[in-house]
Amino acid sequence: MPLIEAHNIHKTYRLGRVRVPVLHGASISIEQGETVAILGASGSGKSTLLHLLGGLDTPDKASSPDRPSSIRFRDAPLAGDRYRARDVGFVFQFYHLLPELSVLDNVRLGAMVGRSRLEYLSIAGETDRRATELLTRVGLAERLRHRPAELSGGERQRVAIARALVTEPALLLADEPTGNLDRAAGDDVLDLLDELKAERELTMVLVTHSERVANRADRTVWLVDGTVRERPQQAPIAP
Amino acid sequence: MYQALLTRRYLFSKIMPLLASLAVMLSVAMELITWSVMGGFLDTLISTGRNVIGDVNITWPQVGFAHYDELIERLEEDDRVVSATPVTETYGLINLPGGFVKTVSIRGVDPEGYDRVTGWFGGHYWTPIEEPLRLDKDREDPRLDEELRPAFERLRSFGRRLEFDTVEDGAVRPRAAVVLGTEVYPKGAYRQRAGFVSTDIAEYLIGEDATIQVLPTDQRGGAIGPAARTLVIANEAQSGVYEIDSSVVYVPLAALQAMLKMDEAEVVAGPGKLVVDENGEPVGFAAPDTVDVSPARVTSVLVRGADGVDPKELKLACEQSYAAFSDERAGDVPRATSIIINTWRDQNRTLIAAVEKETALVLFIFGIVSLTSIFLVLAIFWSMVSEKTRDVGILRALGASKTGVAWLWVRYGLAIGTAGSLFGVLLAYAVISNINEIHDFLGEAFGLVIWDPSVYYFSTIPSDLDPVKAAIIAAAGLLSSTVGALVPAWRAANMDPVQALRFE
Repeated sequence: MPLIEAHNIHKTYRLGRVRVPVLHGASISIEQGETVAILGASGSGKSTLLHLLGGLDTPDKASSPDRPSSIRFRDAPLAGDRYRARDVGFVFQFYHLLPELSVLDNVRLGAMVGRSRLEYLSIAGETDRRATELLTRVGLAERLRHRPAELSGGERQRVAIARALVTEPALLLADEPTGNLDRAAGDDVLDLLDELKAERELTMVLVTHSERVANRADRTVWLVDGTVRERPQQAPIAP
Repeated sequence: MYQALLTRRYLFSKIMPLLASLAVMLSVAMELITWSVMGGFLDTLISTGRNVIGDVNITWPQVGFAHYDELIERLEEDDRVVSATPVTETYGLINLPGGFVKTVSIRGVDPEGYDRVTGWFGGHYWTPIEEPLRLDKDREDPRLDEELRPAFERLRSFGRRLEFDTVEDGAVRPRAAVVLGTEVYPKGAYRQRAGFVSTDIAEYLIGEDATIQVLPTDQRGGAIGPAARTLVIANEAQSGVYEIDSSVVYVPLAALQAMLKMDEAEVVAGPGKLVVDENGEPVGFAAPDTVDVSPARVTSVLVRGADGVDPKELKLACEQSYAAFSDERAGDVPRATSIIINTWRDQNRTLIAAVEKETALVLFIFGIVSLTSIFLVLAIFWSMVSEKTRDVGILRALGASKTGVAWLWVRYGLAIGTAGSLFGVLLAYAVISNINEIHDFLGEAFGLVIWDPSVYYFSTIPSDLDPVKAAIIAAAGLLSSTVGALVPAWRAANMDPVQALRFE
C-alpha cells in the first residue's frame, strides 16, 4: 500500500479575470520509505502538487463523476490541520523560520502547533530533548539561542529541517530545499536529508528543477502539461 | 500553546503593539480620570451637605414653627438620630467695614447644637492650626504662628460662643457676635497662593461692627417692618461649599429670633385699659392682661443621623417623628403632610441631577472618543497581520487551524488590552492622586486655572479612584482592544496559506 497517493488532481488558479490551469488530471503514488523527486519547468505546478500532497491546498472538484479526484494518506483522506501537524513535515526554499523566535523555539514550534496546552505539556520534555538532539544532529548545537537572522542560509535550512522532523512525521515534503543555497551548502543539506532519511525511514518528496538534485532520489517524475510523467516525453501516468 | 509563545515575542519585538497599548492606556486613563473627578465632585457635593444642614432638614420657611424643643427631644429619642438643632434662617443685608454691603442668608444658630449636627466648629477659620495647608510648604500661614496662638484661641472661643468679649470700664462685657462665611467679605490680594489669608484682613474685620438688617413677618407672613442690629464680627467659618461660604453669616439664634419677632412673646387680651385720675381725667393706659404665651419659633430643625444610617432612612425616621409631634400639637404646628423634610440631596436635587447628567454626558462623549481606540487597534492589527502574513502561512503549514490562528491575534489583542488597561489605570491613579498638584503646577507654569472654586463650589478638585469604576473602565479597555483585534484575526484566519507563504 502506498504511503500517499493522488488521483486525477485538477487545480486552476485565478489571476484577476484570467483562469490559469496548473494541474489537470495529475496522479502520483509514493511508497513508504521512497524518495521521489518532482522535476519540471518553472510554473509547471510542482509546488502546487507538493502543497496539495501536504494538505496546504485543496484540489478542484473533478470534472467528471466517473473519474473522481482524491488524495489519500495511508489509504485515508487527508485529515486537514491534524495531518499537517502530525504526519507531514515541510521544508521550503526560503526556510520560513519565524524571525522573533530563537533557533530552539522555532524547532519547538513544530511540535506546539496543532496541540492543546495540555497535550503539549505532556510531551514538552520529550520535545525539548528531541529538538536539541535534532539541532545537534544538524550541527547547530551551539546556536540554540540564536535568532534566524544570525544564521547563514545553509544553517537556516538545517533549522527548518529540524523543525520539520521534530514531530517525527512519516512524510517530508521539500520544496526546492537547495534553491536558495550555493552548491556546497546545497550539497550539505542534501547529504543531511539523505542521512536523516536513512536513520528515520522517511518518505520524501523533493520538488526541484535541478537534475543533479533529482538524481539523488529513488525515483524522479516530471510534471508536464499539468500531468505527472515517469519520463519527460512519456504519456501521463494513468489515474 | 504556540499562541502564548508568539504573543510574548510579538509584544516586545515591535513598536506597533506598544502604540496600540498606548492608545488603550490613554483612553482608559482619560475615561477614568474624567469619571473620578466628576464622580468625586458629585460625591463631595453630596457629602458636604453634612457641613451645611447635617443629614436632614425639617423646615417651615419664613414664619417658622413653634415647640421645636419638643420635636428635637422626640427626634433624639430615635437611635438613628445623633443630634438635632434649631435654626432660623432668613435673607437680609449685612453692612461690613469699609461700607461693603451684601445680601446674605442670615442663619441664627445655637453654636453647640449646630456644631453637633454640622461639625461647624471645625470650619472656623481664625483658630490655631497644627499642620500647614497642602501648598504652604514654607509654613507661612499666620495661624501656625505660636506667638499669635493666644489671640487665635480667643477668636476660636468667640466664634464658638457667638459672643465677643469687650472691655468697658474695666469689666468684660460679652456682645452678640456674627461669624461670616469665609467668602462673604472679598479677600482680594490678602489671599495667598497656598490658600490662607494674611492677618491683615483679620485686623480689618475681626472685632469690628457688622449691621444686619432683616424683614420680619408676622405668623401669617405679613411684613412688619425692617429690623436692624449691630453685632461684632467674631470669626469666619468655612463649610467647603463655596456658594454657602460666600453667602451665609451666622448669628445667635435668640438674636435673630428677636429681630424676626419669632421669640417667645406674651399674648394679651386687647389694648390696655384707660386709667383716669380721681377727677376722671385720663392719665394713661394700664398694661393689658396676659392671656397666653406665644412660643418661640424657628424655620428649621437640622438633624444628624448616626453613622451608617442612610439619609433616606433618616428622612423617614424624621417624617415619623414629625407626624407624631404634629398630632400632639395639632393646630399649633404645620401639618405633617405640609412640612418640608429634605435631605441635602433633595434640597439640591436640581444641581445634583444636573451634575449627574453632566457626568453621564461627558462619559458618553468620552466613551465615543474612546471608540477610536477600537479602530486604532484594528488599524494597527490590520497592518501587523499584513506584515506577518508569511508567519500565518508558516503556522498553517505546521498544522495550525484557522481557529488557532484567529485565537493568536485575539489573544494578542487581549494582551495589548491588558497591558494598556493596567497602565491606563496606573496613569489615572497617578494623575488623580496628584490632580491638585498638577493643577497648581499648570497654574504656576502656564497661568492656567482650570478649577475656579467660584464656579465649581470646592476649593480643591475632589477626586477619588473608585476600584469598581477602575475595574469597569479597565474591562472596557480590554474589550475595545479585543474587539479591535477581531477583524484582523478573522482576516488572518482566512488567509490562503499558500498565498501567505509566497508573501514578500
